[in-house]
Amino acid sequence: MEQDAQLVQQCLQGDGSAWEELVRRHTRRIFNICYRFTGNRTESEDLSQDVFLRVYRTLGSYRSAHGGFATWMTSVTRNLLIDHYRRTKRDRITDSLEDTMAVVENKESAGRRPDQQALLGELSSQVQSALTRLSPELREAVILRDLQQLEYGEIQRVLAVPEGTVKSRINRGRIELARVLQQMGVRPS
Amino acid sequence: MTWTCEQTEAHLSDYLDGFLQPAEQTAFDLHVNACQRCTPLVAGVSHVLGSLHTLEQVEPSPQLVNSILAATLGPQSWRNAKRWLRSFQSPRFVYSVVSVAATFIVILAASGFFSHKPKLADLYPTTIYRNADRQAHLVYARGAKFLSDMRVVYEIQSRLRQDNELPTTPERTVPKSSPNGQPGRTDKTNPSSPRQQNRADEIGRNLQVLAAGCPMLIGFFGERRVP
Repeated sequence: MEQDAQLVQQCLQGDGSAWEELVRRHTRRIFNICYRFTGNRTESEDLSQDVFLRVYRTLGSYRSAHGGFATWMTSVTRNLLIDHYRRTKRDRITDSLEDTMAVVENKESAGRRPDQQALLGELSSQVQSALTRLSPELREAVILRDLQQLEYGEIQRVLAVPEGTVKSRINRGRIELARVLQQMGVRPS
Repeated sequence: MTWTCEQTEAHLSDYLDGFLQPAEQTAFDLHVNACQRCTPLVAGVSHVLGSLHTLEQVEPSPQLVNSILAATLGPQSWRNAKRWLRSFQSPRFVYSVVSVAATFIVILAASGFFSHKPKLADLYPTTIYRNADRQAHLVYARGAKFLSDMRVVYEIQSRLRQDNELPTTPERTVPKSSPNGQPGRTDKTNPSSPRQQNRADEIGRNLQVLAAGCPMLIGFFGERRVP
């Protein structure tokens, strides 16, 4: 964290190599948040680039007293993801209809050929698919807690909601995810 | 403690994260083990958590970092150029450049490059050497002449000082040791005023000639009263 703050100071003084170091340190984490939220590689890379662009332009507004640089970046990422979610809502309505059809087909196919159904995809891709079906509020809470391993306090700062709301969203997100996976035919072994 | 299905659903994450108090945890376990509705729920969410924790980080494409850097700092070539230019900002390099430039200017000034309209031919090494040699000799000759002039001036000043210290009034200059002394006598005890006057006149004339010859001395002797 201190190293991040030091790199930020160097960036603000015009040190390009410090910015390069910051990008290299955080690209993977930001990309993963975007990927788990959208489930699409190309979209996630574009979003990651947008996140770093916004961070680069607003770097002067970062205050280390308000939290770590990683938390601040996560907050910027979350805001961009929500913007992206609202922007692409219409496209997703069509997609969700197709997904529903696919689930029905999967259920039917699972009834006929369970051995092939088990081979259709790995568990991670199923979980990823289930994640994208959660509402954005529940999805971001689960991603930050269970995939990014953030503490409740950090999630509270990122989402800018009370801690009770954070806990509630994480709890509901997990239960909803279990239900979606059950609908997809994935059951606990 | 009685425990309901709603409580189980509301505190499920606390239970899985280990945030429940011992009494609550006991009640939770007792209820879940006995409830057919809550048992699959807890098992399903536990399975989800395990699945989430086994998810590995996805590697972004190697071009992502470069595209981010290009979008923020500019293209790779421009970044390299900026890094190269930044290396010139070190104090050691600046001092070196300044000292080299100062040396170059001194050499050019010594070769007379700035004394007239510069030409390309003045930059030839032979021309620079010839001009510098001539300029050095000129400076040396001027210095030698200046020192010689100063020596003359000093000598004249010394003589004037000596003359001013001697009495010029005949009545006062007649020593008691020679009561019979007369003006114009050449004995050393009584410097005669006419002779002294003649010498002072001669020095005055010399000074005028010298002042005419050396313009720099005009101011110096202009204020002096020539006898």
